[in-house]
Amino acid sequence: MNRLVSLLLWPAIAIIGAFSFAGLALGRGESVNAVWLVTAALSVYLIAYRFYSKFIADKVLQVDPSRPTPAVRHNDGLDYVPTNKWVLYGHHFAAIAGAGPLVGPVLAAQMGFLPGTLWILAGVVAAGAVQDFIVLFVSVRRDGKSLGEMIKMELGPIPGSLALVGVLAIMIIILAVLALVVVKALTASPWGLFTIFATIPIALLMGCYMRFIRPGHVGEASVFGVVLLLVSIFLGRVVAEDPTWAPMFTLSGTQLAWALILYGAIAASLPVWLMLAPRDYLSTFLKIGTIVALAIGIYYVAPKLAMPATTRFLDGTGPVFSGKLFPFLFITIACGAVSGFHSLISSGTTPKMIENESHMRLIGFGGMLAESFVAVMALTAACVLDPGIYFAMNAPAAIIGTTAANAAQVISGWGFTITPEMITQTAKDIGETSILSRAGGAPTLAVGMAQILGQALGGKAMEAFWYHFAILFEALFILTAVDAGTRVGRFMIQDMLGHVYKPLGNTEYLPANLLGTGLCVGLWGYFLYQGVVDPLGGINTLWQLFGVGNQMLAGIALLLCTSVLVKMKRQRYVWVTLVPTAWLLITTLTAGVQKIFDPDPKIGFLSLARKFSDAAAQGTVLAPAKSIAEMQRVAFNNYLDAAVCAFFVLLVVAMCIFAVKVCMQALKQANPTAHEIPPLAGTQGALA
Amino acid sequence: MKDATGSGRAAVLEVNDTTSGAPAQGVFRERARSLCSACRQVFGMPDYERYLAHSAQRHPGAPVLTPSDFFVQAIERKYGRGGARCC
Repeated sequence: MNRLVSLLLWPAIAIIGAFSFAGLALGRGESVNAVWLVTAALSVYLIAYRFYSKFIADKVLQVDPSRPTPAVRHNDGLDYVPTNKWVLYGHHFAAIAGAGPLVGPVLAAQMGFLPGTLWILAGVVAAGAVQDFIVLFVSVRRDGKSLGEMIKMELGPIPGSLALVGVLAIMIIILAVLALVVVKALTASPWGLFTIFATIPIALLMGCYMRFIRPGHVGEASVFGVVLLLVSIFLGRVVAEDPTWAPMFTLSGTQLAWALILYGAIAASLPVWLMLAPRDYLSTFLKIGTIVALAIGIYYVAPKLAMPATTRFLDGTGPVFSGKLFPFLFITIACGAVSGFHSLISSGTTPKMIENESHMRLIGFGGMLAESFVAVMALTAACVLDPGIYFAMNAPAAIIGTTAANAAQVISGWGFTITPEMITQTAKDIGETSILSRAGGAPTLAVGMAQILGQALGGKAMEAFWYHFAILFEALFILTAVDAGTRVGRFMIQDMLGHVYKPLGNTEYLPANLLGTGLCVGLWGYFLYQGVVDPLGGINTLWQLFGVGNQMLAGIALLLCTSVLVKMKRQRYVWVTLVPTAWLLITTLTAGVQKIFDPDPKIGFLSLARKFSDAAAQGTVLAPAKSIAEMQRVAFNNYLDAAVCAFFVLLVVAMCIFAVKVCMQALKQANPTAHEIPPLAGTQGALA
Repeated sequence: MKDATGSGRAAVLEVNDTTSGAPAQGVFRERARSLCSACRQVFGMPDYERYLAHSAQRHPGAPVLTPSDFFVQAIERKYGRGGARCC
């Protein structure tokens, strides 16, 4: 019976998928319905899950359901807890899905909907889901060890330490770029800023409620929290329309940057029960709720894709980010296709909760497919927008100017016809004064979501509400990530400082803690500020730096997976990880080298730095700098970005050499040399 | 609902221990409880009942944390070092 169902079901899914792709492919020249895109993606996921992940589980990894997992061996009811596989799937998905899959695809939409979609689908099946699944497997077989520890075990102590420095570096860049997304979304937006600001007292209230009033009643506190959040969105409109309150919540980009830096420093120093935990709950509710709502919304409204399949910006002249499709598409869309950061989650809490090895396929591979689906929906939401509006929102002021009339003229000149009235009307619909140059993904996605959800529920009148709801949803989990990330960064910095001077490594020692937090905030704050004042809008610089870093981490994780497969004597199947590793190395290294050395100042850090320092030497001031001192700062920042990028490139090359050496040694051995916990290790915490 | 507050666990034990009474209601309550527990786990919230069940099974008779102590410790464990989180 099961066999019969399978015999009918899978061809049916394949046919639906084929039809959806045909819908996309044959609809050139006329607008295509977004449902085709989403359905094509779902079919790819189902087929990849059913066949490819099964192949990896059965043949490549030879997952053994009878082998006790760390959760079973060390079951302590706290960290190591055997968890129902669907529950853990949800938990894992909530941990991996962040702002990344929402931002990258929106930026990449400047090349049309097709390149981004194809990379998301191919990338997730061949690289992203494979990485998440195999890292999870490797960690489960090593008592739930972290990525850094596993690299140390399998590749050696030097690569282990190098990987940790690399992780800290991307952590800093990611915090900066996420904070920049918030700055771009909230600049001169009193409604948005008020609702985000309101989440602070709401979280404090929830924290105190759960701690003192009704200890442990997290569910009750969360219900109050969500209700208060929704109230704050309505109140935001009142604030924005009030002549006395509105100016207090209208901040410029640099003011917001300082506010965020201050916020990061304070939030990361507060007790975790007071703000971090309650906000994390709120952000997880909103995240899962919004993603589900968006999926239903797309199917219910069935909007047409207004963006063409491909645009002229494939050639690298795009206003949102510069650089050709290869390699820049592949670093712009990181999360959703393949994200190195997931290797930290797949070797973090999740492996300690796996009940049975056979569940890893659903949680590791399947979890990443769900994140990829989020990326496809984000891309869809951006492509549903009128392309003119899309470019008005995402092109920097240096290109389209600061007035609707100017922007409409420039964008129409690119072939995306738009009138100034359309731009101002869109701003009015969403309750904002301007939509121009709000790069960073969040606002674009929010407008797209507002149009989709507005059509499904509430009509035009509700668009402003949905827009601010979407901004709140993204900003909330970005701010939670800033808080949590600053803490992680602080511990990493203290770990490193402890090697230099022992007391600085003591996490119970307040001055050392403050120093660690200060350094971490200072580092990401520096990049954030630099991004805010960047002549090309900041996202162009920071998002690509982040993309290079994140893909580099994925490359490192996949190098580890490859080495482990070789050490397990599964070299027959090594292509499963070797192909995505090679692709990531090619794209990351090409992009990294171009970002550093490209002669076009829009792409290469060094040429932009030289352009500014040369002009400064001749006494000319180039916009947007206003003085020679500012010019020199722009030049310095670009040298710094080049150095960070060079660090990523060198790191990945070094890791590659270490991995090749380890693999060569392993190939010479007759027996497996991987450091797995033996299957018959005691089940009563003998190894604890 | 009010009367179950604070003695939630006792109520569960009662339902499990007695085979007579209102089994349908017991099953319903058990389902609702496990649904709530599943939600808490998905959202990464502290799950006191699961902790009690674990202690009762693994370390019968050993002293257990109060709800508020458990709550504080669980949150500290999860977020104390920031907690890995994705972009």
